[in-house]
Amino acid sequence: MTQVPTSSTPARDDTARVAGPYLELNAISKRFPGVQALRRVTIHAPGGEVMGLVGVNGAGKSTLMNVLGGIVRPDEGSIRIDGQAVEIDSPRAAAHHGIAFIQQEIQIFQHLRVYENILVGELERWRVAGPMLSRKAMRSEAAKHLAKLGSAIDLDARGEALVVGEKQMVQIARALSRGGRILLFDEPTSSLSAREKDNLFQVIRNLRASGLVIFYITHFLDEVYEICDKVTVLRDGEVAVQGKVDDFSKAHLVQHMIGREIEGATGAQGRRLGDVVLEVSHLTGTRFPQDANFCLRRGEILGVWGVLGSGRSELLRALIGIDKVRRGTIAYAEEGAPQPVRARHLFHTVGYITEERHLDGLFLQMPLWKNISSACLRAFASRVFRILRVRREMARAREYMAEVDVKAVDENMLASQLSGGNQQKTIIAKWLMKQPRLMIMDEPTKGVDVGAKQEIQKIIFEKASSGVSFIIVSSELDEIMSLSDRIIVLRGGRIVSELTREQFSKDRLMSESISGEATHAA
Amino acid sequence: MRAMPISERATPEEAPGLRTRALPTLRRLRWLVLPVAIALILLTLSLFVENFATANNILNLLVQVAPIGVMAMGAALVMITGGIDVSGPAVMTTAAVIGADYMARTGDLVFGPALMILVGLLLGGVNGIGVAFLRMVALVVTLSIMTICSGIVTAWTNGQSVVGLSPDFSATFDRTTIIVVFLSLTLLLGFLLRKTLFGRWLYCIGANVRAARVTGLPTRGATFAAYTISGACAGVAGIMNTAALSSARPGMGPDTQILDVVSAAVIGGVSVNGGSGNIAGVALGAVLIVMISNVINLVGVPDYFTGLIKGLVIILAIGLDKMRSGSPS
Repeated sequence: MTQVPTSSTPARDDTARVAGPYLELNAISKRFPGVQALRRVTIHAPGGEVMGLVGVNGAGKSTLMNVLGGIVRPDEGSIRIDGQAVEIDSPRAAAHHGIAFIQQEIQIFQHLRVYENILVGELERWRVAGPMLSRKAMRSEAAKHLAKLGSAIDLDARGEALVVGEKQMVQIARALSRGGRILLFDEPTSSLSAREKDNLFQVIRNLRASGLVIFYITHFLDEVYEICDKVTVLRDGEVAVQGKVDDFSKAHLVQHMIGREIEGATGAQGRRLGDVVLEVSHLTGTRFPQDANFCLRRGEILGVWGVLGSGRSELLRALIGIDKVRRGTIAYAEEGAPQPVRARHLFHTVGYITEERHLDGLFLQMPLWKNISSACLRAFASRVFRILRVRREMARAREYMAEVDVKAVDENMLASQLSGGNQQKTIIAKWLMKQPRLMIMDEPTKGVDVGAKQEIQKIIFEKASSGVSFIIVSSELDEIMSLSDRIIVLRGGRIVSELTREQFSKDRLMSESISGEATHAA
Repeated sequence: MRAMPISERATPEEAPGLRTRALPTLRRLRWLVLPVAIALILLTLSLFVENFATANNILNLLVQVAPIGVMAMGAALVMITGGIDVSGPAVMTTAAVIGADYMARTGDLVFGPALMILVGLLLGGVNGIGVAFLRMVALVVTLSIMTICSGIVTAWTNGQSVVGLSPDFSATFDRTTIIVVFLSLTLLLGFLLRKTLFGRWLYCIGANVRAARVTGLPTRGATFAAYTISGACAGVAGIMNTAALSSARPGMGPDTQILDVVSAAVIGGVSVNGGSGNIAGVALGAVLIVMISNVINLVGVPDYFTGLIKGLVIILAIGLDKMRSGSPS
C-alpha cells in the first residue's frame, strides 16, 4: 500500500478548531549510560492537531514520553506550554500542567465503579462531610466527561465488567476530568477490536476539534494516515523528519524510520549448520502464539522479530512450557532425530534468558558465584546428605566468569553491584554452566551498554560455532539482522513470514511486522 | 599519605563510594551485636541480682529458651523463603496435648514423643500445601492453622490439663537432655541451611522466587518442606514443654508467644523479606528474647509492660533490618 490515503481522514477543517494549548519541546537531550536516548529533539504541537510519533523500538519514543510525564528529566532543552517555560520534574507536575497519558496497559481499578474510576485521581474534591464522598456530584461530573467522548458506558458498572475499549474511554475521561489538555496516546489500539478502534478514532477527532494537544504514538503507519495531522519520525534519539502527514508517502516514512542502510553482517558467515534439533508444529497458547510452525538446526541462530505485543516472549514461554500450551507438538533431540517431548522438557534442559533480569533473572542480593551455580546446583551436591561443595562451586563460577568476561572484583561481589552488561553476562554464565544445546534468549542485550552488547553477541557466535542452537528475540533491527541465520516474523501471535539471510532487509522486517504488505522502499 | 581536608575528601561524587566501602565493615561486625548484648545483660544481672550467675540459673534459662528457640528456628526456615509461619506455638500445644494424652493413657514413652513430632509434621505439612501448592498467602494459612489448632486443643482436652504422665518421661527429658536437643537442633538446622542443597534452595527462593523458578529450582517442593520442618520443630518444642511441665495444658503455647518466636528470628538477623538469616543468630535471638522477659520479671516491672518492651525491641530490630536492606549496595 504505497498510495497516500489523504481522503480517508474526514473533517480536517482548520476553521473548526478552537485556539487551545500549545506545547513546545525545544532541543531536548537525554543521555543514559552507554546510549544517547534523545538528541536535541524539537517538536512543536499546537492544540487542535494530532501529532503522530513513530519510530522503531529504541528510537526514543518512550524516553520522550517519559520526559513529558515527569519520569525522566532531560539533560538539556526546555519545555514550554502556552509560551511559558515549565519544569516537569515529577508525574504530579506533569498532571498539574494538564499532561495525561492514555497508556498501553490500561489502568483501571477492577472493583471501583466507572464514575469512581474516572474521578479517582482527585477524590478529595468530592468530599461533602468528613470522609464522605458525594456520589451524586461525582456521578454527574463523570457523566459530563463521558458525554464529551460520546460514550454510553454505564456509570455504575464495575471496572472488571468493562471491555478493553471501554476501559480506554474511562482512562480518557479520567484524563479530561483532571484538566488534561495535552493527551499522550501510547499505542492505544494494540488490544482493541476493529470497532473499538473506529470508536477511539472518532473520540480522538472530537478531542482534536475541542482544541487539545494530542500525541499519538504507534508502530502502525496506517494509523498515522488515518488519525494524525502531522508526524514526527524519531530515529536513534533524533528527529529524522517531521511535517504534515500528507507530505509523506508510507515508503518514505519507513525509510526515515530505518535510516541508513544495513551494515554488513558480522560473524554469521562461515558457520556450518547441523541437523534439525527442534521441530515445532502448530504450537498454540491461550492467546499467543497462534499455530506456530518452525524448526531449528544445530548451531543455528533463529531470530524472532515482531513489534511489541506481537507475542514474541509468549512464543518462547509456550515453547519451554512456562505458559500453557493448548495445542501443538514440540520435537527435540540433543542427538539424532527429534522426538516429541513433554511440555516442560525444554525448560529443564535449555538455557532461558528472560527479558527482565531484575525481575526473574538474578538473585540480586546474592554473590555472583551463587547466581552462576544456581542452575546446576545438583551437580555440586554430594550423594549423601546433599552437601554442596562450595569450593568447587566457586571455582567453576570463576571459570565461567572468565569465559564470558564478567568484569567484577571477584566471584563474591553481589549481583546488584554490577552494571547491566555484567549482570547479563552473569546470567549467560549461569546458563552456560548447564552446558545446554539450546539457548533461548529474550532481549539478550536489553539495557546494556554498547561494549557489553558486542561482547554478548560475540559469545553467542562462539557458542553457535560450537554447535549450540539459539532462539533469540530482539527489538533491535540491527542486532537481530546481524545475529540471526534466519528470522521468523510474528504479528498478532502468528508467524507471518520466515526470512533467510539473503532476504533480510530493514524495510522488509518492518513492513512484515506492521502490515504484512511489503512496502518496498523506492 | 598526604592528609586531605575533609571537604576535599568528601566531594559529592566520592561520598557514595565512601559509604559503600564503610558498610561491609559494619556488616561484618554485625554478628557481634547479639552476643555482646546478651553478655552485657548477663553481666549487669550478675552484678545487681544476688545468686544470678549460678550454673543452676543459667541452665534454667536455657530450658526456657529451648522451646522458643526451636520454634524460632523452624519459623526462620520459612522466613528465609520469604514466607511467615505464625502457627508455631499453637501447633506446639496441639502436638503436646495429643502426645501427652497418648502417653498418659498407654504409658508408651517411646511413641508418645514421636507422635508429637508427627502431629507437628502433619500440621506443618498442611501449611506447606496451602502456601506452596495452593499459592495461598502464608500469613492467612498459618493464622488459620493457628485458630484450628486452638479448636483441636480445646476439643481434645475440654480445657483441662493433661496429667498422669509417668515421671520417667520428665526424668528422660530432663534439663540436660532438653538443652542437648536444643543445641543439636541448632547445629543440625544450621548445617542444613548453610551447607546443603536444600538450604541453598531456601535462600534462593527467598532472594527472588521468580528467578528461582526460571532457574529450574524446585520452589514448591522446597517451600512445602520448609513449612513441614517448621511444624516438626513445633512438635519438638511440644516435647520439651511437656517434659519441663510434667504435663500438657491448653494454655502452654498462648497466641502471644508467636511474637517471641518471630522476634527471636528477626532479632537473630532473619530478614522479614526473605533470603537472609542464619540459625546461630536465631538461637541467640531466642536467648535474648527470653532474657528480656526474665529481666522485666526480676526488676519487678508489672507483667503488662512485658509486651510493651518486647514490642519495642522487635520494632527496633525490624527497623534496623530495613535500614540495612534499604542502604545502597
